[in-house]
Amino acid sequence: MSIRWSYAINQWKPNIDDFVRRRDHERALKTISISGFEAVELNVASFGPWEPLGNPFQIANNFGTAAGFRGFLRDCALTGASSWFYDPGFGFVEDRSTGFDVRDPEQLPGLLEKAAWLAGALVELGGDRLVVRAAPPAWQGGALDEAQLRHVAAAWNAVGARTAGLGVRTTLHLDFLSALRLDDGLERLIDATDPAHVGVTADTAELAASGIDPVDFVRRHAARIDHVHLKDAREVCPLDEIAIPVADLQVRAGGGPRGVERWFFELGRGGLVDAEAVVRALVAADYDGWVVVESDQSPHPAESAMLNGWTVQKVLAPLC
Amino acid sequence: MSGDRAIKWSYMDHWRSDEPSGPRDQWHNRDTMDRFLKQVAAVGFDAIDVFDFRMLWILSSYGSVANYQEFVQERGLERIVNIFHGADYDPRDYAPHVRETHPAILEDFRRTMDAWSGIELDNVIVMPATRYYDMEPITEDKLKTSAELWGRVGEITLEWGVKLTCHHEFYCGIQTRADVDAFYSYADPRYVNFFLDTAQHCIAGVDPVEVYEQHHDRVTGFHFKDTRTRDTNDDRRLRPESELMAKTTDKWFYEMGTDEGLVDFEAMMRAVRDHGYTGWISVEHDKANKQGGDYAESTAISRWYAKNVLERIYAEEVR
Repeated sequence: MSIRWSYAINQWKPNIDDFVRRRDHERALKTISISGFEAVELNVASFGPWEPLGNPFQIANNFGTAAGFRGFLRDCALTGASSWFYDPGFGFVEDRSTGFDVRDPEQLPGLLEKAAWLAGALVELGGDRLVVRAAPPAWQGGALDEAQLRHVAAAWNAVGARTAGLGVRTTLHLDFLSALRLDDGLERLIDATDPAHVGVTADTAELAASGIDPVDFVRRHAARIDHVHLKDAREVCPLDEIAIPVADLQVRAGGGPRGVERWFFELGRGGLVDAEAVVRALVAADYDGWVVVESDQSPHPAESAMLNGWTVQKVLAPLC
Repeated sequence: MSGDRAIKWSYMDHWRSDEPSGPRDQWHNRDTMDRFLKQVAAVGFDAIDVFDFRMLWILSSYGSVANYQEFVQERGLERIVNIFHGADYDPRDYAPHVRETHPAILEDFRRTMDAWSGIELDNVIVMPATRYYDMEPITEDKLKTSAELWGRVGEITLEWGVKLTCHHEFYCGIQTRADVDAFYSYADPRYVNFFLDTAQHCIAGVDPVEVYEQHHDRVTGFHFKDTRTRDTNDDRRLRPESELMAKTTDKWFYEMGTDEGLVDFEAMMRAVRDHGYTGWISVEHDKANKQGGDYAESTAISRWYAKNVLERIYAEEVR
């Protein structure tokens, strides 16, 4: 059993024209490295040349190959990329592809192709987890009915089998806006997917913001959890707020009717997540894999990474 | 030097962060200090240096300097290594080259050392001269008078077990290579040591490696920081102040490892290694927040450079 500590790069990219130059990437990656993290989790995104780390097209444009980008990561004293977060609802301007609705079985072939493409690049980057947004947000159609849930589970089982053949496990990520919060969707989807090929990501802050105790979740699903996002939250988002149209912008980014300025916080600063208890639960479950610390929505990325690095080094890693 | 590492890294007392109440330094309250220390410790610094004028904040927030050091240690740092002495260098009553001001300066150091006696320190760092424009023309007599003062100050600080060491700002009266060499030839080596700031010397047109080669046996510490600009405009003469208010240079200092830096840190570290220096190296990047810079990131980048470049050089065989 061993935990490997990685850090998510998503907090450094607040807007399309920020975090574009290579010097900015180098400084962020060195900050992550010297703060005690081994690798980095990338975020699939597409906005042409202004998302140089967002997908294999742009990585090739900027570094020649994925292996070339891994060399850049190594030059910054990181081993590589641990994982890639992928929301299948978004397409790519590079090949003018649209996103996929995982509830629609007719869209599965395209999804399989894209997932395999990402997994192949991820292997070259040294990673082994494709972290997928497991279902559309609740405002895009409400709860999953039985047929939809079967289609979603079948889609992820197929994707999981495909990426497993490339050396990458597909792992389901719950976000607090997800349709899976309705009608016990998350538990139903976990039950309906194949443990051989589909794992579960425990994102502590997204769980807490969904009203789910992350420690209890880790204990109940220890056998399925194959990836962890560790961050804190201070607010639970009620179900009426996730039904607000375009909640990704109106609630997650905009704060919703209560004007929540920031959903996620650094570890150990008084939020809903007991990070020590989460790590103890992982250790008790013999968890063997990545724990990716995140601080998306941080107003100050370097400070957040360094504070989280202190908590990992001085508080959490000694528990392992 | 405690522990088994020949070189350890201390972080010098400069910081700024955006707080809900606006931009603040780490001394703003206990929470800002808590986060500052954790960030410094997280990236691998072993200790901190502080300005001695922070005593007022220390007493107000922590009760004593020993209590403050305990607060530091609880966050994973070993201790406070050096203090940097803050003084106004008013030529009327605080000018090393003016003998009549010496009694007041000596008394200032007796008070300072007593105030800090609650903890163990390695060095008290001073600027050994007034501002350039308050000292020029620089004469042999003024250099000798200054050296005499610092010898007497060094005797006082050694009574508390602390070395007196001199840090040559580019805008101070002793900053050319010739004047630095002359000053140390006059100063008593038992009491007057040299604290080498790589960027300050570079700005003044002094090669920090060469001056270290000359004076390495007097060096009791370093500020490792970088610059991209030399003083080619007589900025050292600028009134009222040239480190923050120079007309042509908005930002003098950068963290080591910066692109376009003028300091050859690899050569510096080889010289440090080859002369068998062991002990603390302090890292500094004052004014890092100017022009959109970020203290936290600069601190991380500098420690990354120390770990991944300089420590490897130090570990190589001596030439």
